[in-house]
Amino acid sequence: MSDNILELKKITKNFPGVKALDNANFSLKKKSIHALLGENGAGKSTLIKIITGVYNQNEGELFLNNKAQSFNSPNEAMNSGISVVHQERNLIRRFSVGENLMLTNLPKNNLGLIDYNAVAKESKKWLDIMELDIDPNTIVSDLTVAKMQLCEIAKALSLESKILLLDEPTSSLSPQDTKNLFVLLKRLVAEQDVSIVFVSHKLEEVFEICDEVTVLRDGKNACESEQITNLNRQQLVKLMIGRDEQIINSKKEVNFDDKNLLNLQSINTDLGHKDINLNLKKGEILGLYGLVGAGRTELLKCVLGLEKINSGQILLNDKEIKIKSPKDALEKFKIGYISEDRKKEGLILIHDVLSNAGITVWSNLKKILSFLNDQIVYNKVDPYVKQLEVKTPSYQQIVSNLSGGNQQKISVAKWLASGTDILFIDEPTVGIDIKTKSYLHELIIDLSLKGTSIILITSDMPEMISLADRIITMKDFKVVGETINNHNYAQMSSSIMDNIHE
Amino acid sequence: MNFKIPNFVKTNQFGLLCLVIIFICIFSFSTDGFTSRFNIYALSRVVALDIMIGLAMMVVILTGGLNLSLGALGVSAAMFGGWCMESMGIPISISIILVLAFGSFLGWINGFVTVRTGVHSFIVTLATMSIYFGFMTLLTEAEAFRKLPEIFTDFGSLKLFNKYISPLLIISVLTCFILYYVFKYTDIGRKLIAAGANPDAAELSGISVDRMFIYCHMLSGFLAALAGIMLTARIGAAIPSMAGHLGFDWLLPAFLAPVLGGTLLSGGKVTVFGTMLGAILVTLINNGLYLIDVGEFWVRFFLGMILLGAVLLDRAREYLTVKNSIVS
Repeated sequence: MSDNILELKKITKNFPGVKALDNANFSLKKKSIHALLGENGAGKSTLIKIITGVYNQNEGELFLNNKAQSFNSPNEAMNSGISVVHQERNLIRRFSVGENLMLTNLPKNNLGLIDYNAVAKESKKWLDIMELDIDPNTIVSDLTVAKMQLCEIAKALSLESKILLLDEPTSSLSPQDTKNLFVLLKRLVAEQDVSIVFVSHKLEEVFEICDEVTVLRDGKNACESEQITNLNRQQLVKLMIGRDEQIINSKKEVNFDDKNLLNLQSINTDLGHKDINLNLKKGEILGLYGLVGAGRTELLKCVLGLEKINSGQILLNDKEIKIKSPKDALEKFKIGYISEDRKKEGLILIHDVLSNAGITVWSNLKKILSFLNDQIVYNKVDPYVKQLEVKTPSYQQIVSNLSGGNQQKISVAKWLASGTDILFIDEPTVGIDIKTKSYLHELIIDLSLKGTSIILITSDMPEMISLADRIITMKDFKVVGETINNHNYAQMSSSIMDNIHE
Repeated sequence: MNFKIPNFVKTNQFGLLCLVIIFICIFSFSTDGFTSRFNIYALSRVVALDIMIGLAMMVVILTGGLNLSLGALGVSAAMFGGWCMESMGIPISISIILVLAFGSFLGWINGFVTVRTGVHSFIVTLATMSIYFGFMTLLTEAEAFRKLPEIFTDFGSLKLFNKYISPLLIISVLTCFILYYVFKYTDIGRKLIAAGANPDAAELSGISVDRMFIYCHMLSGFLAALAGIMLTARIGAAIPSMAGHLGFDWLLPAFLAPVLGGTLLSGGKVTVFGTMLGAILVTLINNGLYLIDVGEFWVRFFLGMILLGAVLLDRAREYLTVKNSIVS
């Protein structure tokens, strides 16, 4: 007998042409927080899907409380006390918090109708355990992203879950919300007998909260249930990528002249932006920092003409311009936008690599009578796809079958191919493995050195401070501060947080 | 397993081709006259129309939408053509151009309203179906145009290739080739498909999605009008009820052909030759069942069942397109 609540032994899972897991082991101690790490494509998601009953393993066994188990559906796993909190929210946005929490077991009154008082009372119980100050009657879509996340955890608790799998739980949380979440997780482990599997790309967090760590690389264990205290960051990175992390030297010596390339003057928008002033110089990386909901992405979408600008001016090279649509932005003004949401806005998942990488250049490449064939597109995009080291069996591969990192590379490649002067880059490394992440960082700096001006949105403070030349802080759809970046993490982060919490 | 299955075999079109051949064999052996010159000629006239209305529906399904007004639109355009040729005495060639422009205009209305209101094209075209058909009936007073120029009606009953094939089929097949070329080898075709597959991503990649959707609806109207002209030539008159009340008779084959052919109902994937094969299959089954003499009810029953089966196939296809690592 061991004190493991969950144990997977010698798990192998084959997919057509790929061995996603190869004799992988994983064991979760009772009342512990266990980090599951690995680059994209290392087999983390496959392992999670086996634990939660989405897949069945080809070989190996799964033990729950020391009893051999096999789940044939996610429902069976859930009934055995295993819940996943996904990156993507699984709440019904139009329903109230209470309804969402009680969804599978809505209390009914004598007439068989839903008893809403009981729903509120019952769900309040779980919200209280989490010390969440949310009215159960609040509609989910009115909550902040952080609160939604917490509600999902409350929902998992209400299902009497003893094992919680958290998949990138902090990817859209502010530092403060992350802190709160960690306090809560530690309390749940201590008071509610919950064991947690924690998947994250942010190693700082792993060191902060986890007890043990298992690292997967190419479907095999690079390390198994190692005490986190026995490892340092460098060692962990080495386990994940099989080599040392390359620290990029991000300090660049550029003197920007006074001339503005892009200039926003007193912009007010339909979405609620108030008196926004921004300027961007040639070859500059301008960071936009702010919490989720500060209106950063929304501002860029207004500039691109997707939402209405009510007053104010946009100047390009000191000439006033009107951008009616992203098409306008691309074709007339050479401005491109790399979306934060590559699955919904960045890529066409059901199409192949070639049409995704070439979509921005079709208009430029077309010949007489709009003629265009694959070869012409291939010739144009191939250098960029190669430069970014996109790993794909062929250009005919459907993009949804590629790993997240490679998908992100393609959504970057198409904008490199388009040759824009100004790039808006929105959260470029969310859910991306370390290797690709540092690669993209180098690329962004390289682009700016070659003269592309970049507005960078990221909620990852270290990323912001290593990349940006100047950082604008936004809060509640207003600009609240501007700082020249001296690349000193401690100084910069405190000055930015001061701006936000003033 | 070491032997490699050629990619073509895995495609939907190959399965359809097999089905077409199987049905041809079944009907050839089980019925008299299926392979007769008369029947094949009749088949070619029907299949020509089914291909055209299948394509007309396909280009709107591409956007993830539907065009319920297809039949009403086609008949309205045909009646307009009858009026041009018979009442106004406009030369045939100019009349045809006017009819195609008129069909495109009606399609533009569908597209414009869909894009501007953001309402699903199902609702918009349900409304315009009624509007177009209502207007047409009002203006024509439900009277047919039966004195069309002889050259025009003669073309509809022309027999080519040893009197086996109608020239109408050649028009449809030619249209297939042109559309295939447009979707495969032009900038605009790629943009139409991209806009249909993921409007948000396409918009942010610098494609004017609204305009693309309107183009799709215009193309649908154009093809429906072409189908209307072909039907007029075939029966030698423009009759308000030639596609049934509100143009309903066209809807079932219009859906069946592209869905059987492999066009995704959620948009973003078209198969022009799949639609052609789908139309051929539908016509074959229709014709064969009539020859076996099972009765009108059973024919409709079978076609309905096939549509349901095809929709299930569509779901499976969508699942496979996204989930499966085997690329077709």
